[in-house]
Amino acid sequence: MEDLKEKLKEQIIDRLNLEDVNVTDFSDDMPLFGGGLGLDSIDALELIVLLENDYGIELANPEEGKEIFDTINSLADYIQKNRK
Amino acid sequence: MYINACSTISHQNSFQNENWINELTLLDENNELITPNYKEFIAPTALRRMSKIIRMGLTCAKDCVKQSGIENPDAIIVGTALGCLADTEKFLNNALTLKGLIPPTAFIQSTHNTIAGQISLELKNHNYNVTHTQNSLSFEHALIDAILCLNEDDSNILVGAVDEEIPLLGELTGQFGLDSIKNKLTSSASFFMLSNNKTETSKAKLVDSYTVGLNTSDSKKIINEFLERNNTSLADVDLVLSNSYGTVSDSEIKNLFDSIEVIPVEQHTGYHLTTAAFGMHLATEMINQKSGNQILIYNTLNNSNIGLTLLQSLEA
Repeated sequence: MEDLKEKLKEQIIDRLNLEDVNVTDFSDDMPLFGGGLGLDSIDALELIVLLENDYGIELANPEEGKEIFDTINSLADYIQKNRK
Repeated sequence: MYINACSTISHQNSFQNENWINELTLLDENNELITPNYKEFIAPTALRRMSKIIRMGLTCAKDCVKQSGIENPDAIIVGTALGCLADTEKFLNNALTLKGLIPPTAFIQSTHNTIAGQISLELKNHNYNVTHTQNSLSFEHALIDAILCLNEDDSNILVGAVDEEIPLLGELTGQFGLDSIKNKLTSSASFFMLSNNKTETSKAKLVDSYTVGLNTSDSKKIINEFLERNNTSLADVDLVLSNSYGTVSDSEIKNLFDSIEVIPVEQHTGYHLTTAAFGMHLATEMINQKSGNQILIYNTLNNSNIGLTLLQSLEA
């Protein structure tokens, strides 16, 4: 699980071009959107693509997104339970 | 109408440098785009996904807002010939090489109106927002739109032009046999705050802009008619800034303008299809520094199109 969280942080930094952010800059329970990492709606689309292309998870219900993408903890937990 | 602010990022040291027209250099193949530290103008969260053309355009637009003190212009109008090339190339490469879903960011930002849209978002401006893409006349069409707005009810218009060079463009021009421009391709952005009101930041007057497409059979007649409709003539033009890049020979230039001094803008800005905007900033500063009362910008970058823009001193 810890390895997955580290990998997710690296992927998010790379895919979302977070030029000035390092893996050590955000904790597992820091909100990804809003006041935490400051991601926005375009980033949400990129995360949906990342989930499907890299983990084979299709987000069928967009309403779930807010909860899934809340923190690294929630994202890793969702991937662990649903990856194919 | 008055030019109350100008801002240019180019291969000259033009950005936030009041003396830049006195530091002009002749470009060679090694000249690089001279860019500011964009982090001073754009928040890192927005900057991270912006390509060169968006960074240049947005930074110049914000600089014009700051210079003029007009935080909420009545319109934002942008001219770009080739638009967001880097994002377009990235999106197409993704479409060709990636399996599964295609990452959306490059696609979203690949459209020509991304620059005007980002300016609108950054300024929180919900007014008229338009992008003109008309080959070598893109800037002039944006200017004409701005003039029409000012002739109606608007008071302050943010207008500009921007085009970017990417390595693929050089490869393509080489494949099309356009070797004369292959190594001269450049990028630049020039933005202006146009206003019906003369202020303490006013530098020159924009008198008129006019385009003729797919018909350059009688350039002299077109130029004379343009000047006549503005109650002036070539005899009263102090300087011509030409954007031709070899489409018009020196003898034709001589025939058109006789003894009037003609400066080829491309020797200072390189080749891209909206260099007339760079020319307008250059003309504005020349007039502001009393180097002429009336300057004509003559654009024939595409030899089947003519763009004409006339600037005058505040006193004229």
